[in-house]
Amino acid sequence: MGLLTILKKMKQKEREMRLLMLGLDNAGKTTILKKFNGEDVSTISPTLGFNIKTLEHRGFKLNIWDVGGQKSLRSYWRNYFESTDGLVWVVDSADRLRLDDCRRELGALLLEERLAGATLLVFANKQDLPGALSKEAIREALALDDIKSHHWCVIGCSAVTGENLLAGVDWLLDDIAARIFTAD
Amino acid sequence: MFGSIWQYVYTSFLRYWLKWLIRQATGKCELQRICSEHEPGASRTTRAENSLQASKNKVLREALKSSKDHVEQCVDQIMKEKNIKPQKDPLFKGRLHVCLLQITGYSSLYTSVEDLRKEVFSSENPEHEAMLLKLWDLLMPTVKLESRITKQWGDIGFQGDDPKTDFRGMGLLGLINLVFFSENYTAEARQVLSHANHPKLGYSYAIVGINLTEMAYSLLKSGALKPHFYNTVQGTPELKHFHQLYCYLAYEFDQFWVAEEPESIMQFNQYREKFHDQVKAHLQDPDVSLALSVGSD
Repeated sequence: MGLLTILKKMKQKEREMRLLMLGLDNAGKTTILKKFNGEDVSTISPTLGFNIKTLEHRGFKLNIWDVGGQKSLRSYWRNYFESTDGLVWVVDSADRLRLDDCRRELGALLLEERLAGATLLVFANKQDLPGALSKEAIREALALDDIKSHHWCVIGCSAVTGENLLAGVDWLLDDIAARIFTAD
Repeated sequence: MFGSIWQYVYTSFLRYWLKWLIRQATGKCELQRICSEHEPGASRTTRAENSLQASKNKVLREALKSSKDHVEQCVDQIMKEKNIKPQKDPLFKGRLHVCLLQITGYSSLYTSVEDLRKEVFSSENPEHEAMLLKLWDLLMPTVKLESRITKQWGDIGFQGDDPKTDFRGMGLLGLINLVFFSENYTAEARQVLSHANHPKLGYSYAIVGINLTEMAYSLLKSGALKPHFYNTVQGTPELKHFHQLYCYLAYEFDQFWVAEEPESIMQFNQYREKFHDQVKAHLQDPDVSLALSVGSD
């Protein structure tokens, strides 16, 4: 039995997953995290550093890392890659001016070796805003169809109303579980 | 279990009879004793607040919810209800008046602060824009802002090239606090900014400021700031007193951060929590006064 198999077995027992939430600043990462956890989302300030929350969902223990997105913090993102099962990329769908920036940053992440096995969920957030692009438009703008290296899915959501957050996380869990808990 | 039974018996029966007994013995009601035996400030006002809150008399309980203009009337009503003669206890009226101004003022301060927090920063509002530009000029007197949307905003610690999205949950309150500190404690604010721009120990000045506004706001909301305001404002606390408290947090957090020498900005939340715990510990002291000891007023 190799080390990897042992690790896999240990993980299986705990049914634990590590999710990493990244995206440009003001994308809504912390709001998604808090809303998903049933907390008040009306008084959130910009994230410096990171937040981590451990929560139970569908019998899984989720360790969710929410790391600040401002430019000066992005060089620290790499410190959080290790053993990530799922990458949640959060997009401000109403911020058309920075979509290029957003696509580049995501592209760079997907080249990272330590994220190679992670499932990618793209949240096209802020669908409640009048100027928001649809998830199809986001899919095109971020060239998601070109991604062959990762399982991925794009879901339109609103962190403020909570719309579709559950659907997104459920898809992510199903995909990860199918990969790490059933393969033997 | 036993504790909660005792609590029930005490609050519903014993407390009443105990008070009655002491009243017979001393000739003074609980409020009178509080006002004469305790020093002005949190030790007196907190006790008066608890006494009014626990009262069976509706007039006394309602006094806690009155507004600034009706406080005087409330004091008269309470004195009538409790049969307190001004001739016998001439200082009582003035003392209870101050206590009630402080107690009701705290709730109205929260309302004003909440209104400012809910006001979204808008680029279409010339007043908001002017305030933002003023912040720049106060902090960076020798550097001109090249345009409204510019990377220069990063030099005073905003995230991107337009600060407006950074105000988020704290709204206009975050901006007003930043401007207030820079305007009233200009030298200190620039000193803090220079620490924030340190290549190794640096942090984002404005973003940290907005995070500290959130800290001040949540302390206010939870009631934790009551002893501070009861000790420092002998009357109705106003917005400027809240901004003063922010100045204290901004200055003290910087001192704390520099002394702790965190590994990097990524540790911000741990240190923020540690600082928060320190502030909360100070607020447990009935004599607390979180005032900045430097600069002008």
